[in-house]
Amino acid sequence: MQTDHQPRQLRHYLSGTAADRWLLLLILLLIAGSWAWIRHQVSAGPPTVYIYHEHQLLAMYPLPDNDQPIHYRAHGHLGISDIMISRHGVRMLHSPCSSQRCVLSGEHIRAGDMIACVPNHILVSIRGNRRQQLDAIAE
Amino acid sequence: MNISRRLPRPPRQLLIGHMQWLALLLLAISIHVLEASMPSLGPWFKAGLANLITLIALLWMGPRAALLIAIWRIVLGSLLIGALFTPTFIMSMAGGISAAVLMIAAFRLLPCLSVVGISLLGAVAHMLAQFVTVEALFIQQPHIYFMLPPLLLLSAVTGWINGALAGYIAARIRHDP
Repeated sequence: MQTDHQPRQLRHYLSGTAADRWLLLLILLLIAGSWAWIRHQVSAGPPTVYIYHEHQLLAMYPLPDNDQPIHYRAHGHLGISDIMISRHGVRMLHSPCSSQRCVLSGEHIRAGDMIACVPNHILVSIRGNRRQQLDAIAE
Repeated sequence: MNISRRLPRPPRQLLIGHMQWLALLLLAISIHVLEASMPSLGPWFKAGLANLITLIALLWMGPRAALLIAIWRIVLGSLLIGALFTPTFIMSMAGGISAAVLMIAAFRLLPCLSVVGISLLGAVAHMLAQFVTVEALFIQQPHIYFMLPPLLLLSAVTGWINGALAGYIAARIRHDP
């Protein structure tokens, strides 16, 4: 660790040492590898919404193709989370938590997207890819 | 006899050290509260500016002062924003302590790393610890880790920048008394 007699330019610190850059490279490689593996995992199968409370799967719905949205009321740790599933994606309409971050996170549609309400112990996860489903139908 | 004359006066250097620690703690709490009110780029993601103060305390005052600042910053900051003992507080505490402990270990054991590398490790440890805490205590679903890579990427970027800022500020203040 160098703390004395250091240069005073910010860009000197931004460039880091050789060891710092190797560490960054290692971390970025691990992130890229795990990201690619996760994308592969969540893209398999038709697009489906999974709703969990703690370790328990409460419900699973395929993303609807029509304009008829599905409302699901998930009973969580604090109360009921109101979830809407439509062809445009999934969103949390109401949550009993105080922060409301899950509600404010808006609509999610891509495979791998999630809405997590930690205070209410509710997780909404989207897995599966619409494009892969269309490819399977075409075959 | 005057009571104050019986009490031994603490050494001046000790008092200055305590005041410096307190000033850093107040600064860290202010940044913690400010960050809590700012919009976030993702769930459980913050820029980690408050951790910058932990890093500066580590450089100036050593591991014990840095760890205490990390803990008291989260306790008092959460108290001020009304989040004490909530899931957010537990996640912050797990992340903050993990980051501080890993940064202290790297500071002591890896002399090849500069403050930038130490900050990078701290930022990554903070994010990982938050996910492990959520998975262990609140949402027992391994699928939660699917959200981890993009958030780790953001943490790595902010950790690198915060480390550079901490090194710059520490050197600047030391050179400009």
